[in-house]
Amino acid sequence: MSAGAASSPRARSLARRALDWIANPWGKPRFLLLVTWAYVGVSILPVLVAIQFSFNAGRSMTAWQGFSLTRWYFGDPVYSVWHDPSLRHALIQSLKLAGFDMVIATPLGVMLAIGLSRWRSVAASMSNFLMLLPMVTPEIVMGVAFYLVILHLYTFIHPGTFAQALGHVTFSLSYVVVIVRGRLVSIGRQYEEAAADLGATPWESMRYVLLPLLLPAILSSLMIVFAISIDDFVISQWLSCGAGCDTIPIRIYGSARAGPLPAVNALAALMVYFTVIALGIAYLLFRFLTRGERADRSTRLLVGDMAALEM
Amino acid sequence: MYPKWLWPALAAAGILWLVLLFLVPFYAIIGVAFGGVDPIFQNPVPAWSPWHWDFASAIDTLKGFLPQHEYWRVFLRTAEYVAAALTASLLIGYPVAYYVSRHARRTKALLVALLVLPFWVSYLMRMLAWVNLFAPSGLVNEVLAVTRLTTQPPDWLNGNPVSVILALVYGYVPYLIVPLLAALDRIDQSLLEAARDLGASPWQAFVHVTLPLSKTGILGASVIIALPMFGDYYTPNVVSGSPLTSMLGNQIDIFFHGGPQPSVGASLTLILTLFLAGLTAYYMVAVARAHREGER
Amino acid sequence: MQSLDDARFRGANIERLSWGARVARLSARGLGAPRSGSIGLSRRQALASLGSAGITAALPRILTSARSEALGPGNIPLARPERPVALPLNAAPIRSGLAPETGGTFRLYNYADYIDKKVVEEFGERYGVVTELSTFENMDEAITRMASSMILPDVTNISHERLVQAVVGKLLQPINLDYVPNLGTCVWPSLQSPFYDVGSRYTVPYVVYATGIGWRSDRISENIAAMDNPWSIFWRSGKYKGYVGILDDDRQALSLAMLYRGFYDINTEDPVVIERALADLRDLLLICNPKINESQAHTLPTGESWLHEADSGDLLGAYLSDRPEGYDGSTLRFWSAPKGRGPVNNDCWAILSAAKKPVLAHLWLNYLLDPSVAFNNFLYTGYQPPQVSLSAESLIERRIIPRNLQTTIFTSDAFGPGSQHYATLTAKGNAMWQKAYARFLAGT
Repeated sequence: MSAGAASSPRARSLARRALDWIANPWGKPRFLLLVTWAYVGVSILPVLVAIQFSFNAGRSMTAWQGFSLTRWYFGDPVYSVWHDPSLRHALIQSLKLAGFDMVIATPLGVMLAIGLSRWRSVAASMSNFLMLLPMVTPEIVMGVAFYLVILHLYTFIHPGTFAQALGHVTFSLSYVVVIVRGRLVSIGRQYEEAAADLGATPWESMRYVLLPLLLPAILSSLMIVFAISIDDFVISQWLSCGAGCDTIPIRIYGSARAGPLPAVNALAALMVYFTVIALGIAYLLFRFLTRGERADRSTRLLVGDMAALEM
Repeated sequence: MYPKWLWPALAAAGILWLVLLFLVPFYAIIGVAFGGVDPIFQNPVPAWSPWHWDFASAIDTLKGFLPQHEYWRVFLRTAEYVAAALTASLLIGYPVAYYVSRHARRTKALLVALLVLPFWVSYLMRMLAWVNLFAPSGLVNEVLAVTRLTTQPPDWLNGNPVSVILALVYGYVPYLIVPLLAALDRIDQSLLEAARDLGASPWQAFVHVTLPLSKTGILGASVIIALPMFGDYYTPNVVSGSPLTSMLGNQIDIFFHGGPQPSVGASLTLILTLFLAGLTAYYMVAVARAHREGER
Repeated sequence: MQSLDDARFRGANIERLSWGARVARLSARGLGAPRSGSIGLSRRQALASLGSAGITAALPRILTSARSEALGPGNIPLARPERPVALPLNAAPIRSGLAPETGGTFRLYNYADYIDKKVVEEFGERYGVVTELSTFENMDEAITRMASSMILPDVTNISHERLVQAVVGKLLQPINLDYVPNLGTCVWPSLQSPFYDVGSRYTVPYVVYATGIGWRSDRISENIAAMDNPWSIFWRSGKYKGYVGILDDDRQALSLAMLYRGFYDINTEDPVVIERALADLRDLLLICNPKINESQAHTLPTGESWLHEADSGDLLGAYLSDRPEGYDGSTLRFWSAPKGRGPVNNDCWAILSAAKKPVLAHLWLNYLLDPSVAFNNFLYTGYQPPQVSLSAESLIERRIIPRNLQTTIFTSDAFGPGSQHYATLTAKGNAMWQKAYARFLAGT
């Protein structure tokens, strides 16, 4: 059936054998496998290369000039992230905004999630729709809306850190709600009903049963809100007060075309490290705190959660 | 067991926040778009009550979208880039999602994690990485020089539409793959096995069973990336600083950051929002129709 | 300065002619037959595209106002070097002889990287205040933010074409010149009572400059200064594709194209002229794909840019304070047009009406006009202050300016009647320029 089988193995050229291997009708689809791993490589490789150049010993962003662990992070006394005031300020501003976002959006979102998932009425469905809107709104529209509203209506709010923080919380709320709601659905009402049977008041039931059960989701959303806030660009830029309110993505945007030094790579790499660490913590906390519940559902749960984030 | 008022009470704070800081800002766009202009500073003076709305400037801006008028070409160019980027993303993303959902068994969890990873790397960081690769002395030109595919290294980052489209694909394809993956996961394996039992070849099974069943997934994933792409302005700015590749989002950006004509910018934003809302409505109608057909 | 044959540039003062004669003269000069072979725009085509841009309906109104009324914001006549204007007092200036405020923060508002920070800090130390310097990217942003009270400085840098808006909108307060004696003793006589602010009621001048062409002589083989029409180098720069730049400003970008065509009225509100400039700029995109930015002071020395529309101070500032290691700056060149054929300009400083430290604000103006302070600031920014003590000859003699950049220094008679400034436009005219520039940036 396979065309090349007729000739002897030695006569078959390398290309022929490669084609056979790819088009093997009995094996796994090798072509798709190649495509998939090629895609994964191409999508992650540029980021890895950019991170690699943050360790470049020289000033170039494209020519590797040797390895230097700390030059662009805190070694170089003028241009490194720690010493260059504008870069350091961007780093601190990003962390500030992310911290504010975590502290405000998480409690607000948890309460909203609990309320929305158990409230049944027309107003509840409308509120649900409202809660989902920020996820489907293009960021430039949100940026413009915010900018105009603080310019013309909420004139006591000036573009700056406070306005940026308000914007971050607004778009983070939806993510928190989706994560916490997913968790609420998976634990169901059984535990609280059991607590009620055992004589707990509503307050005790919520405090000692529901919230501890929600803890994995709450901690995960803390970390995810951190990651989202650090990565945000559009809202931060529109509500910025100038150089003093620049976050890391804004600095990258400003420098990407201006012949920058690898210090920008270092700054961007720091952003990646923070995000990966935050996600790693979220994932590990989630798995650790739900270890008792895991039969064989955990992978699907996590993938489901991840997919839920995008729906 | 819980009092009925507890749930609305819990949700109240969040809803109030969203109303004050999400709905009201939208209304501010409308107020500015339909408002007046301060004669001295040319700053917009928003009109808050519908009685004072003045549609003249907004209608003027809308007229600019008619063929041969000032916004038509930008709109057309944006639509072209989005269509090209969407097609390329589907061509790349669908096989990947298909493989991961249907065939990867031992490596599935790892692959899913690797596919989700670019989500969490900031878009700007990925664009920076892209710019570095395509810089005149970057990796891509080096590879091209070594393999002698071109005599003169092409200038990727200066008004090159191909770069912009490729950058859009690179930036948005992760957002396409994950929903597509979720949709393909939901297709029941037994349907495919039934088709094979009935004598279909793998290719025929794909075309006649998998593809139609994944239509809503494809549509949903396409909408998820097409919507933000229409409002994208930072990708052309980073990858190509030239007006030749300017998109609709750039126009809005110019009117707000480049000069005191925010009312035009507000009208443009309003038009963009309505256009995208129209697309979303079309998507929701299509999904609802597909569900109804599925039920029959 | 340059001694180009003025006979080559006959036909100035087009604004004095009627509209019909103006168009006829432009047609004779070659409205349909441009010099450098790029796509010409016939008058019919221009009117057709204008119709589609919706301007034709407003045409009669714009033209009549341009001819007879020429009124800017607040119905104040548009100031031009030949038609000086005294701005009305919108409030009473502060009394003389008050003591300066101490303690607290003194707020300044300026372009980014446009003043030596040491100069600002020394002022703060001298008067015992903390100084805070906020920056803006362009005048539009500055005026918008100040007008909406988003930022409340004590003093601000302002360009004089926005002065009328700011005065009528009560953004600025009048100056009491008793606090600013340096204005009368140290500043060029021609700028002590400038055409845009007769009597210096609201402003003092900051720096003077011309907008021209900056280039690297080791990369550009043409001798731009010796060309018939130096502005045409941009439209012939195909071989320098990727290394050409123009300024990111609606007035400066569009007027580049107007000057290229030999049309010297850069304050025109004639839609035909603006439309043609837009068409020329669009051609430029295809010819040399220029970068549109304000970073020439940085990119010319590093060699990332070889040919850039630039202000004179950018080149000198690049030489004085932004040279990369190992580059001596000897290949930097600058050219600007002779008087009346190209834009010159000066920035100003003004005091806000809501200033919390008005006396200190007056003293700041006086401080800036002090010769040694102005000189130190000059060494950082490269922009020339209009100081009597800083003549071009003395600066060249003291070897502060290299020979290749002597064209970046001006004398007092380059300003005043007969010069071309970017001056105030009517609101409609302003909107026309901005709309045209937005269309250029959209590539449409």
